[in-house]
Amino acid sequence: MLFQSQFYVLVFLPAAAMLYYSVASSERARQWCLICASLVFYGWWDARFVILPVSQILATWLLALAHQRTGRRAPLIVGVALNLLSLGTFKYLDFILGSAETTIGIVLPRAHLVLPIGISFFSFQLISYLVDRMRGEAPIYPLRPFALFVLLYPHLIAGPIVRHNELVPQFSLDPRRDGLWQRIAIGLVIFTVGFAKKVLLADKLGTVVDPLFAEARLHALNLGDAWTATLAFSFQLFLDFSAYTEMAIGSALIFGLVLPENFRRPYLATDIRDFWRRWHISLSNFLRDYLYIPLGGSRRGLWRYVLATMITMGLCGLWHGAGWTFVAWGLWHGLGLAMCHGWQRLGRPMPKLLGWAITMLFVLAGWVLFRAASFGVAGSILASLVGLGAPGGALQEIKLLLLAALASALIPSAHEIINGAKTPHPAVAAVGALLAAYCLLIVGENAPVSFIYFQF
Amino acid sequence: MLWRPAKSDASKTADWRGFVSLFLTVLIGCVVGVYLFILLLDPYDIVPFSLPIDRRIVSISDRFMYPQIVRSKRFDSLVIGTSTSRLLDPEVLDRLFHVRFANLAMSSATAWEQKTMLDLFVRTVGPPKALIVGLDGVWCDQRADYNRITFRGFPDWLYDGNPWKKYLYLFNYGTLEIAARLVGYHLNLYGERIRYDGYEVFVPPESQYDPVRAHDTIWRGVRPPSDQLPQPLAAQELTQLSFPALQWLDAGLARLPSTSLTVLAFMPVHVAAQPPPGTRDAGIETECKSRIVAIGRKYGAKVIDWRIASPLTQNDANYWDRLHYRVPIATHLAEELSAAALAGRESEDGSYLLLVH
Repeated sequence: MLFQSQFYVLVFLPAAAMLYYSVASSERARQWCLICASLVFYGWWDARFVILPVSQILATWLLALAHQRTGRRAPLIVGVALNLLSLGTFKYLDFILGSAETTIGIVLPRAHLVLPIGISFFSFQLISYLVDRMRGEAPIYPLRPFALFVLLYPHLIAGPIVRHNELVPQFSLDPRRDGLWQRIAIGLVIFTVGFAKKVLLADKLGTVVDPLFAEARLHALNLGDAWTATLAFSFQLFLDFSAYTEMAIGSALIFGLVLPENFRRPYLATDIRDFWRRWHISLSNFLRDYLYIPLGGSRRGLWRYVLATMITMGLCGLWHGAGWTFVAWGLWHGLGLAMCHGWQRLGRPMPKLLGWAITMLFVLAGWVLFRAASFGVAGSILASLVGLGAPGGALQEIKLLLLAALASALIPSAHEIINGAKTPHPAVAAVGALLAAYCLLIVGENAPVSFIYFQF
Repeated sequence: MLWRPAKSDASKTADWRGFVSLFLTVLIGCVVGVYLFILLLDPYDIVPFSLPIDRRIVSISDRFMYPQIVRSKRFDSLVIGTSTSRLLDPEVLDRLFHVRFANLAMSSATAWEQKTMLDLFVRTVGPPKALIVGLDGVWCDQRADYNRITFRGFPDWLYDGNPWKKYLYLFNYGTLEIAARLVGYHLNLYGERIRYDGYEVFVPPESQYDPVRAHDTIWRGVRPPSDQLPQPLAAQELTQLSFPALQWLDAGLARLPSTSLTVLAFMPVHVAAQPPPGTRDAGIETECKSRIVAIGRKYGAKVIDWRIASPLTQNDANYWDRLHYRVPIATHLAEELSAAALAGRESEDGSYLLLVH
C-alpha cells in the first residue's frame, strides 16, 4: 500500500486510527492493532511477502533470548549472519553472481528472486538490535513490542531507520496522554506536506527525469538536457524520499508515536559533512554507530579515518543498490568527506556561498552516478554537463525546477515543524485540508507512483 | 528522543482539538462535496442515480468518453481503430451502409484497447450489424501483449462491466474537470467537443492546409530504404513470428454471427510511413497481413488494403502528415469502403486491394 493512495488516506489510516484509539486503554490491544495494521499494509502488495519479515523477527528474537539464557555471544552472531544472509540472498545474490561471471568469464545461473520491499530497512533494524545486545545496550523485549518495533508500518518500508530504544518505550505510553490533539494536528500537517511534495512535485519531476536518462542510454545529451536531467533528478530524489519520510512521521504521530528526523533541508548544506548530517540522517547515524566508529572513526589517525570513511561509504552505496555504480557513488562521497575533513583540519574556513556551490556540484555529480544505468551512461551525462556532449540545448522545465528548488530550500523538515508548532492556526488547518483534498484528486487520476527508495 | 510536549492548559488543548476538527471537517467536506458533484453530474453516464440531464461529449479524452456512447445503445454498428480511422464520418457511413454507426476509433489506440472497446460493444449492445476495424501497425506489434496501453492510461473500469468498481475511480481531478465542463455546457459556457457518434475532426481546418508544410512534415526524418535493414528472414523464420494481437482479433470475430458485416481495412497511411519493400520490416508486415487475411477469410470478413504504395498514399497533397489524411479523403475512403465491402468492387485507380470478399 502506498501512503499517497486514496485508499490509504481515506480508508486505511482513518480506520486504523479509529480502531487504535478505541482500544487505547489497553497497551496489549493497541500493540496488536498496530501489528495487524502493519501486516495488512505490508501484505497489500503480496501477502506471501509477510513471511520474510515475520520469520526474521522471530528468529532474531529467539536468538536474542538464547543469548539471554546462555550468556554466549554465538546466538547473536548467528542472528546477524542470518539477517545478512537474507539480505544478501534477496538483494545481492544476482549482483554477486554477475560480478563473479565478469571476473571468471564463465556464464553462471541467476536466481531472479523478487526483492521483498523494505528488506534493507527491517534487516538493518534487526542487526542493530543484535549488535546492541552484544554491547550490552539492549534489553530483551517481550515478543509483541519487539515485533511491533520492526513491523510498525509507517517506517517498515523505507524508514526512517529506528533504533529499538527510540521506539519500544513509546509503545507503553498512552496515546491519549497530554498533547493528544497537538500530536494529531501536527501529524496531519506533516503528512499533508509530504503528500503534496510527492504528488505535486516529485512525480512531475519523474516525468522529466525518466525520458532524459533513457535517452542518455542511446546517445549523448546536450548541455541543456544534461543539466535538466541532473537537476530534476536531484530534486526528485529529495522530494520523493523526504515526502515518504514526512508521511511516515505524520502517520506515526497520529498514533502518538514519534519517529526520528531523516532530512534537514540537505540542499542548504555548505560542506559535504554538513550534507550527510542533513541527508537520510537515520541511515547516517546507523552507519556511524555500527560501522564507522567500530572501524576506528576519526580518533586513530588520518589514514585510519580515510579507510573507515571509504569502507563505510562504499557499503552505504552498496546498501542502496546491488550495482557497482552505487558503490562508486558511495566511494565518491567517501572521497568528498575525506577531502572535506582534510580542508577543515587546515583551519581555513571557506566562504559559505562558495562552500555551498562546491558541495552542490559535488552532490549533483554523485546523483548522476546514482541514477545512471551504467558507468558509460553516467560518464556520458557528466561529459554533457561540462559541454562535451551533443551541441546546443537549453535548460527545460525551468518553472518546475524553480518550484522544486524553493520547496527543497524553504519547506521545513518534519521535526522543524514539530518543534516550531506552538500555536494552532485555523488558517493552516483549512489550507492544509484543501491541499490534501487537491492532492487526493490529483493522485486519483492515475495509479499512484511508487517511491524511489522502495527499491532499496 | 521522545517528543513529549509540556503539559498544556485546557484552552490550548481546545485550540488544538479545534484545529483537528477544522482540518477534518474541511477535508471530509471537500471530498464528500466533490464526490457528490461528480456522482450527480456523472460525466461518463455510468451512475444510476445521477441527474437526468443531457450528457454531451465535452472532453476529447476518447478513452473515457466513448464507453457512454456504447452504453447509450443508440448505435448498432461501430468503427474501431486508431486516429487513421477517426475521420470516417458515421453520418456518411450510415448513408452508405444503412445502419447506425458510432466511430469509436481512438488516438494511438493499441490493439488491446480496440479489442476491449469491441468487447464492451458486444456485451452491451450485442453483435454489431456492421463492424469496421481500421488496421494499423499496432495489430502487427510483436510485443502487443506487453504494450497493452499507452502513456495516456486506459480506464478499464469503464469497460469491465463491474457495477461497483467505477465508484472507486470516479474521485479524481480529470473527472471533476469534465463534470464542471458539463455544467458549463448547460450554462452555454462550453461547447460539445466530440459529436455523440464519436466523430471528431482532429486535424486542422482545411483552410489552413499548406502543401509545402505538409510535404516537409511528411518527409522529415524519413530514412531512405538503403539505411534500413534488408529482409534477412527466411520463410521458416517468418512463420515463426508471433503477433499476439491477432489472437484477440480472431477471438473478437469468432464472437460475431455471420449476419454481422465485418470489414478489416488496412488504413492508408502515407507511403513514407510504410516499410520500404525488401526491408525486414516490410517482410514482417507482409507476413502479418497474410495472417489477417486468413482470419478474415475464416470468419467471412471483407479485407481491404489501403496500406500500399498507391496514387492515394504517394501523393503528399492528400495528407497532413505521414499518418493522417485530409477530411475530403476520408469521405472518398468511406465511399470506396462501401463499394468494396458491399459490392465487391475493385479499386479503379489502384488505391486499394480487395484481399477478401
